[in-house]
Amino acid sequence: MKRITVGLRALLLVSAGLFLLPSTVWAQPPPSPLEKYRRLEFPPKAENFSKGWKDRVALEFEIINSADLKSLRSALKDEDPFVRAMAAHALGILGDKASADALAELVKADPEQMVRMRAVGALGFLKMKAEVIELAQKDRDAGVCWEAKLAAGQLKSDTDHAALVRRGYAGGIKREAMGTAKVGQPAPDFTAHTTDGTPFKLSTVLGKKPIALYFAAFDG
Amino acid sequence: MHQQAQLRLKKDEVEKLGAEAYVVLAMDLYRTRVFKEENLLLSRGEGRFSKEKSLVYATALSDPAGNASALYGVSRKCLRWGSWVENQPCWFVIDRKGTLTYASEPTFSTPTSYEKDVDLMLEALKKAAR
Repeated sequence: MKRITVGLRALLLVSAGLFLLPSTVWAQPPPSPLEKYRRLEFPPKAENFSKGWKDRVALEFEIINSADLKSLRSALKDEDPFVRAMAAHALGILGDKASADALAELVKADPEQMVRMRAVGALGFLKMKAEVIELAQKDRDAGVCWEAKLAAGQLKSDTDHAALVRRGYAGGIKREAMGTAKVGQPAPDFTAHTTDGTPFKLSTVLGKKPIALYFAAFDG
Repeated sequence: MHQQAQLRLKKDEVEKLGAEAYVVLAMDLYRTRVFKEENLLLSRGEGRFSKEKSLVYATALSDPAGNASALYGVSRKCLRWGSWVENQPCWFVIDRKGTLTYASEPTFSTPTSYEKDVDLMLEALKKAAR
C-alpha cells in the first residue's frame, strides 16, 4: 500500500512538472497555413488595406503551394468568411475538380459576397458548373456578377489558366524582396506574360528606353 | 481603367519620348486579356470613351501570383470598395539607366485626378528620357 502511495505521489509530481513546463517544450504541431491565415493580425478587410499585406501575400503563396486539398475542402465550410474565400480561391487555382459541388453551393447560398466572388472565380478556373456561373451573373452583388462574367469567358477558353497561375506561385516568394522597389535605386527585375502568353522579363528592356510602369487594380 | 484611358490620350507624347508603357495586373492571363481588349467599364455610361472597344494602349502584363506586385510593394490581396483587389494602383517611371525615378499612387480624389496623375507621370517620364 505504501509503495502504491509513493508511486502515485511520484506520478503526480511528474505530471505537475510537465504542466509547469513552458509551452515551447510541448511538441505542438505548427499551425497550418490556413490556420495562420485565420489568425492574421491584419485580415484582408478594407480598413487593413495598407497594413499586413506582406503577411497576406506570403501566406497565400504558402496555402497554394502546400496544396493541402483535404484541409482546403473542409475550409469551404469554415465559419470565417475570409478562410472560406481563401479556400475557394486556392481550390480553383489548384484545379480540384472534386470541390466543384461544394463551390457551386457557396456561389448559390453563401451570405458573404466575397465568398461568392471567390467561389465563382474558382469554378471558372475549373471550367465546371456552367449553369451556376450563368446564375451568378444575376447575383444581387455587382462584384459577383463581374466575376461570374469573367468565369463564363474562361469556360470557353482553350487555355488552362489555373495551371498558368500555379506556375506563377510555384517559384515562391522571398519576404525580404517584397517592397524593395525604391526611387533612386535600380528597378527590380520581374517576369510576367504578355496577353499572347509570351514570357516578358523587365530586364530585357531596362536601360534601353525610359519606361512607364503602371500597376493596376482590375478597374485600373 | 480610367488611368489607362487618360494614358491612351497621351500616347503620342509617350511615343515621342521613345518610351515604353506597361501595365501590370496581378491576375491570370484571361483577365489580363479582357482588361487589355475589352472596355467593360467606361463603355457602360455616356462619355468620351463609351464607344471605344479598348482603352489600353500600354503593353499589358499578366502577373498571376502577384510576384512583381509584391516586389514593387503594391500587392494588397484585400477586400475594398466591395470588391477583391490584388493591387494598390501605382505609377512608376524608370529612366534610361534602369533606375526608378518616380513612384506615385493615384488619388482618385477628384473627377480630374486621372488627368493630373498622368500629367505628373509624363513630366517624370520626360525627365527620365533626357
